[in-house]
Amino acid sequence: MADAQDSARTILVAGGGIAGLSAAVEAAEAGFQVILVEREPYLGGRVARMNKYFPKLCPPQCGLEINFRRIRNNPLIQVMTMAEVEKIEGESGDFTVGIRVNPRYVNEKCTGCGKCSEAAQTSIPNFFDYGMSTVKAAYLPHEFAYPMRYVIAPQVIGTPEAQAIEAACEYGAVETDMAQKSVEVKAGAVIWAAGWTPYDISAIAYYGAGKYRNVVSNVVMERLASVNGPFKGIISRPSDGKAVKKIAFVQCAGSRDENHLAYCSSVCCLASLKQATYLLDQQADAEVSIFYIDIRALGRQEAFFEKVRQDERVRLVKGKPGEITEDPATGMVTVQVEDQQTGKTLREQFDLVVLAAGMAPATSQQKIPASGVVYDDFGFVVSKGQIPGIIGVGCDRRPADVSSTVQDATAAVLKAIQACRR
Amino acid sequence: MEPKNILLEMKDYIVEMGAETINWCMQCGLCTNLCPWRLVPGQTSEEFNIRHMQRLGQMGIEGFEDENILFACSTCGMCQNNCPRGVKIIDNVKAMRASIVGGGMVPAGLRPILGSCHANGNPWSGPRENRTKWQEGLDIPQFGPDTEYFLFVCCHSCYDPRSMKIAKSIATLLQKGGVSFGVIGVEENCCGESMRKVGDEELFQKLAGANIELFNAKGVKKIITTSPHCLWSFKNDYAQLGADWEVVHYTEILGKLIAEGKIAPVTKSGKKVSFHDPCYLGRHSGIYDAPRELLRSIPGIEVKELERSRELSLCCAGGGGRIWGEVPMGERFGELRVLDAVETGAEVLATACPYCVNMLTDACNSLNKQDVLEIRELSEVLVDSL
Amino acid sequence: MEKKIGVYICSGCGIGDSIDLEALSALAGEHKAAVCRKDPFLCGAEGVARIKADLEGEGINCVVVAACSPRVMSDVFDFGPDKVLERVNLREQVAWCQPAGEEDTLMMAEDALRMGLVKASESEPLEPFIAEDINKKILVVGGGLTGMTAALEAAKAGYETVLVEKEEALGGYAKDVYRLPPCDPPYENLEEFDLEDLRAQVAGEPGIKVYTGAMVASVSGAPCMFDVEISQNGANCNERVGSIVLATGSVPYDATKLTDLCYGTSPDIVTARDLEAMFKGGAVKKPSNGQPVGSVAFVLCAGSRDPRHLPYCSSACCVESLKQARYFKEANPETPVYIFYKDIRSTGNYELLYKQLQKDGVIFVRGSVTGIDDDGSGGLVVTSDDVLTRSPVMSESVDLVVLATGMVPTSALGEPFKVQAPQQDGEPAPVASDAILVSNLLNLKYRQGPELPGLEYGFPDSHFICFPYESRRTGIYPAGTVRAPMDYQQARTDAMGAALKAIQCVEMVSVGKAVHPRAGDQSYPEFFMQRCTQCKRCTEECPFGAINEDEKANPLPNPTRCRRCGVCMGACPERIISFKNYSVGMIGNMIKNINVPDEYDEKPRILVLACENDAYPALDMAGISGLSYNPWVRIISVRCLGSVNLVWMADALSKGIDGILLLGCKHGNDYQCHFIKGSELANTRMTKIQETLDRLALESDRVKMEQVSITDFNLIPKMLDDFAEKVNSLGPNPYKGF
Repeated sequence: MADAQDSARTILVAGGGIAGLSAAVEAAEAGFQVILVEREPYLGGRVARMNKYFPKLCPPQCGLEINFRRIRNNPLIQVMTMAEVEKIEGESGDFTVGIRVNPRYVNEKCTGCGKCSEAAQTSIPNFFDYGMSTVKAAYLPHEFAYPMRYVIAPQVIGTPEAQAIEAACEYGAVETDMAQKSVEVKAGAVIWAAGWTPYDISAIAYYGAGKYRNVVSNVVMERLASVNGPFKGIISRPSDGKAVKKIAFVQCAGSRDENHLAYCSSVCCLASLKQATYLLDQQADAEVSIFYIDIRALGRQEAFFEKVRQDERVRLVKGKPGEITEDPATGMVTVQVEDQQTGKTLREQFDLVVLAAGMAPATSQQKIPASGVVYDDFGFVVSKGQIPGIIGVGCDRRPADVSSTVQDATAAVLKAIQACRR
Repeated sequence: MEPKNILLEMKDYIVEMGAETINWCMQCGLCTNLCPWRLVPGQTSEEFNIRHMQRLGQMGIEGFEDENILFACSTCGMCQNNCPRGVKIIDNVKAMRASIVGGGMVPAGLRPILGSCHANGNPWSGPRENRTKWQEGLDIPQFGPDTEYFLFVCCHSCYDPRSMKIAKSIATLLQKGGVSFGVIGVEENCCGESMRKVGDEELFQKLAGANIELFNAKGVKKIITTSPHCLWSFKNDYAQLGADWEVVHYTEILGKLIAEGKIAPVTKSGKKVSFHDPCYLGRHSGIYDAPRELLRSIPGIEVKELERSRELSLCCAGGGGRIWGEVPMGERFGELRVLDAVETGAEVLATACPYCVNMLTDACNSLNKQDVLEIRELSEVLVDSL
Repeated sequence: MEKKIGVYICSGCGIGDSIDLEALSALAGEHKAAVCRKDPFLCGAEGVARIKADLEGEGINCVVVAACSPRVMSDVFDFGPDKVLERVNLREQVAWCQPAGEEDTLMMAEDALRMGLVKASESEPLEPFIAEDINKKILVVGGGLTGMTAALEAAKAGYETVLVEKEEALGGYAKDVYRLPPCDPPYENLEEFDLEDLRAQVAGEPGIKVYTGAMVASVSGAPCMFDVEISQNGANCNERVGSIVLATGSVPYDATKLTDLCYGTSPDIVTARDLEAMFKGGAVKKPSNGQPVGSVAFVLCAGSRDPRHLPYCSSACCVESLKQARYFKEANPETPVYIFYKDIRSTGNYELLYKQLQKDGVIFVRGSVTGIDDDGSGGLVVTSDDVLTRSPVMSESVDLVVLATGMVPTSALGEPFKVQAPQQDGEPAPVASDAILVSNLLNLKYRQGPELPGLEYGFPDSHFICFPYESRRTGIYPAGTVRAPMDYQQARTDAMGAALKAIQCVEMVSVGKAVHPRAGDQSYPEFFMQRCTQCKRCTEECPFGAINEDEKANPLPNPTRCRRCGVCMGACPERIISFKNYSVGMIGNMIKNINVPDEYDEKPRILVLACENDAYPALDMAGISGLSYNPWVRIISVRCLGSVNLVWMADALSKGIDGILLLGCKHGNDYQCHFIKGSELANTRMTKIQETLDRLALESDRVKMEQVSITDFNLIPKMLDDFAEKVNSLGPNPYKGF
């Protein structure tokens, strides 16, 4: 942890997802002090909840593990979890940043032994699984969580259960009277990496998401396929847990659509192609249909697209589906779409329909708490005319895949260093 | 296959006729796949593909002008409201029709309709003087300088015996509510909404021009329409031509009257009622809550939402000139609607558009469901409750 | 260093309930630990204070912490660089994955402690390698948009840069660029592009030294001490730099190969670059007759996404063509413009440019172009399939056809460095996808070849999703279109990212630290040259080309090029390569200290060599998830399977260990090995193990390598059990008890 703080050589990074995490380690390894502020109790953000990356089909935890090691080995990085940046004042080279730290009710003495969880009775929806599973009110966010430290859900605070949880800890790590606190730090530059949220697919009324349980978003699909997900990685229908054999991917669910997100979310084509392989690898008799407008597999991703396309169990259909309906008796979901190649209308039943939900920048919902930051109509932080020293990165700047996000985060560090020199 | 020639001149002509947004279309196909024709079987369903039709139009390639395809669209707006590119699909349909109709190639089935409009100022072949026949038995005031609202009754409710009841009930409700309104009567012309949609721009201009001149001459400032089609046309088509009136649908006025206690429904019918959103009231004009509030104001009525409601409402198939189309049984959208209502457990299927009443009644009869389901106009349900 | 070992055993987190710690303490005594203490909460303040007190009071300089996994509590158990620290993982890999109180569990813990003690006693404190005559300048090769941006931004961050451009003026591809696609809201309007301004900024930045009309004649040395020979106008200059950004860009795909798109049949069929130059030059005319261009057709994917030409997508051409189409529509909205495409790939906000062009009335045709023909009146007609109309369509006559040719990285131009041996049928052997081509960009004086090794299609990228700047040559970072096909915006970002990595490299290396992935590591391989037999394996196998050779084939290590993976150590048959805290002998002794019961019946032993990056954390995860696994396994964490020396197999088998399982990262095209080649090399070496086993008269099935990813923790119990069963079926190792 950084004790003596030299603000002119300190970079504050808001957001501990892949963008913020990358920016933090890159900056620290360039010799700068870093304060990494993350809202959730663990680092890794959205990618920690993913199963695999395209096109290599490697698990995100692998790269996260390396990054966590880089953090552990670097005394220049200070990590604050369950913390949010509340205000940024001052100017490039000399910012004062107010941070609110929410109570975790578990202190740094936690060894990760899990005794608190054994003492907890209440179950709460598991945020990590988008609510598809539950966790105890004293929980480790997930197996790979960094920091590997438990969290007590605020729901039980003040109850006898919380006392029991506190009593169960042999190391004095549970502090049920922990309070929210505010701290102020100085920084020469701020890198804003709040990330993105999947577009609310229930707003696309004709697709029935939210109404039909077997119509899910692509981020939920990542959990369905994850070995530490609600079905231990066997892709199953949320309605009844039945293994999925026939699956449909509906592209541009919200993206490229003036009524929802006018821009292209850039990653969904590859994400769906990747998710297709999840099922293909699990089920010999899998049937995959992908309904698309354009397949946007840029650069070398083309080879991955080609590989998936070659699989005879995969059918790519040019056409954006219309109404989606679910049979309440069987849970089967019917997709209706014209195959533009043939002109024929397909009306087929699937076990599961995955909507390729687009990416909305976190800054569309929660702005950077500094005056003068410029956004576009969609809430992305624009590059021109920006106030110096506050640098939007990754999906707060444009929809991007992991690799581009890391690239952007690395570039942002250079800008931050320049700002610190001012 | 021989390559088809891209004809930019043809494309430009279609654009000139009003398909200004045809090139915005990126051919995603959502329009085709949200189209109500996908829900029914039959030849038209197989042939009519709005995406493909626009594709041909985009490139000026022949093929879109086939009558069965070009005139199949009921302009329900399901595609247009959801189009990712904001393409004004109905304008494109209208323009492509106009490119044919303007050249004198009117589909046979539409000829008498358009002819009647030219001759009588209404599409129903009714003599002009019969326009006020619906008023029999009622004391309907004439619009004058001291009248606040001009009540414009849809031609359908002026001439169709079943539909006249709608006009009657609306007028009755307005009177009970103490609304200052009046009618002009025999000088009125059809609003021309459907004529414009079928591509007869010349006829529309004639009707609209006459109406604007008439209404302005009479000093009309505020209009209540019985039909959502007239509502939409006055608010949109007529506004383009310089008309500057405050136009409301009767359901909007009645809502206010009930809120103010001027009308107080009492009868406890205890029936289960579903509401069918007319396309031109809902999707086209954004009025979803007013009719539902009216229904809910009636004590004892249980409102059952249909499977496809509000923004997703299924068209009755009466718009865009389709009210004059011939569709085989089993291929009618209205039949799906009736079955849906029966499935929902409704005893009454209420709506707020004369075309919808017409189409749904036909469907109910053809399905022989008239014993279990009553098709009613909302105003009729309300009048019954007083 | 004279060792004084302190052993600290934690009984918390269930360790004390699972393992007889008295027995374990006794073991520490047997191994001559000066101090052995047990603590119920070793990572707590008191526990740590007690260790620190011993460091002070007892002179302990070598600390063995037998507690949780080294993956956690590393900040707590940090006693400074002058102390040796060894973590023995009793929690995740014993107590949490084995039944409590069992004899087997205790034996497993004892072996873990024994191995930890051996490792601790043989490790030395690290002394970082500090290069001589350290230089922190950044060399940027290539003065196009990417190179200029990299030099400028690095200079603005306070780092001197040297920019080398082969042409007489800076600009590269950007010299012909008229305007740029939109970058800012409303994302519909083209951006002005002011190359002169960029050039002026570069010229006005005192931290940048520019060489134009210059080439990099040679690069020797290593990070923080690269010596660069620059040839300019026939003269040679020398620069010493710390790290390098390779920004030599790409060239348009050779259009003369596009005979299927009729290139060459009419002068009015031009490339996108030709058209851009026409606009930049202000004269857009039909090449055939000099008349103005009144109509135009763009053909996308000209060469790209085509196995006959470039199998990949060139990423930028869709948007570039939309931009060029806009040039025409801005000049005259009535100009007929066609775009023939496969998919429109206008990602992100470029979608709004696509929409704008639709609003402008551009005709988009989706399908494959089947012909571009002279219409007999001096115009051209384009015929294409059109999926959307379900028929072929033909354009009206156009004045100009523009082929959106793809990008070929400059690193893909050139012959393979090594002469490939012809195959038996006389055909030349296929060039490996990662072959080094002599492309005359850097001219590295490296044993393995003069340029960065490529991946597929010649892009010198390492194909890491999480770490896009990892190249296989330390301190050399490719950026821009030489790294991957990309557009202007992305190239500018890429330039800045690569510049940061170059800066980071000089900062790390100058204090003796390794760069990614063992960032901060201060250990490095040392060579005991007296025993070297000049076999060249280390120089050939180093994934990063860190080791050069003298004329007698002696290895010449370059520690600042080294990533500390230990692949050289694994390769060396003479075992002369060692790190202060990781060596062949050290691991060998750990293996030899595993207690192998003479009686096989119930106590077979399996050695697991687990890659520390993925397999080892996965084993931890199995414990954290409450999975239990085979009690016969003894786990040793290795830096990379590539660092596994075959002698360890002999050590283990001759000791009587019944089976050896190597757990490492996936190899092949989508390798997950952080050292790129490590697990693949291990796999290759495993095929050679047969020889060793034959010599020992052992079954080859006793040794196996498995590819494990970090999330495969759920598969680990079965994987270990299956292997144990296989070993069991072979019967006891005949060397047991010898």
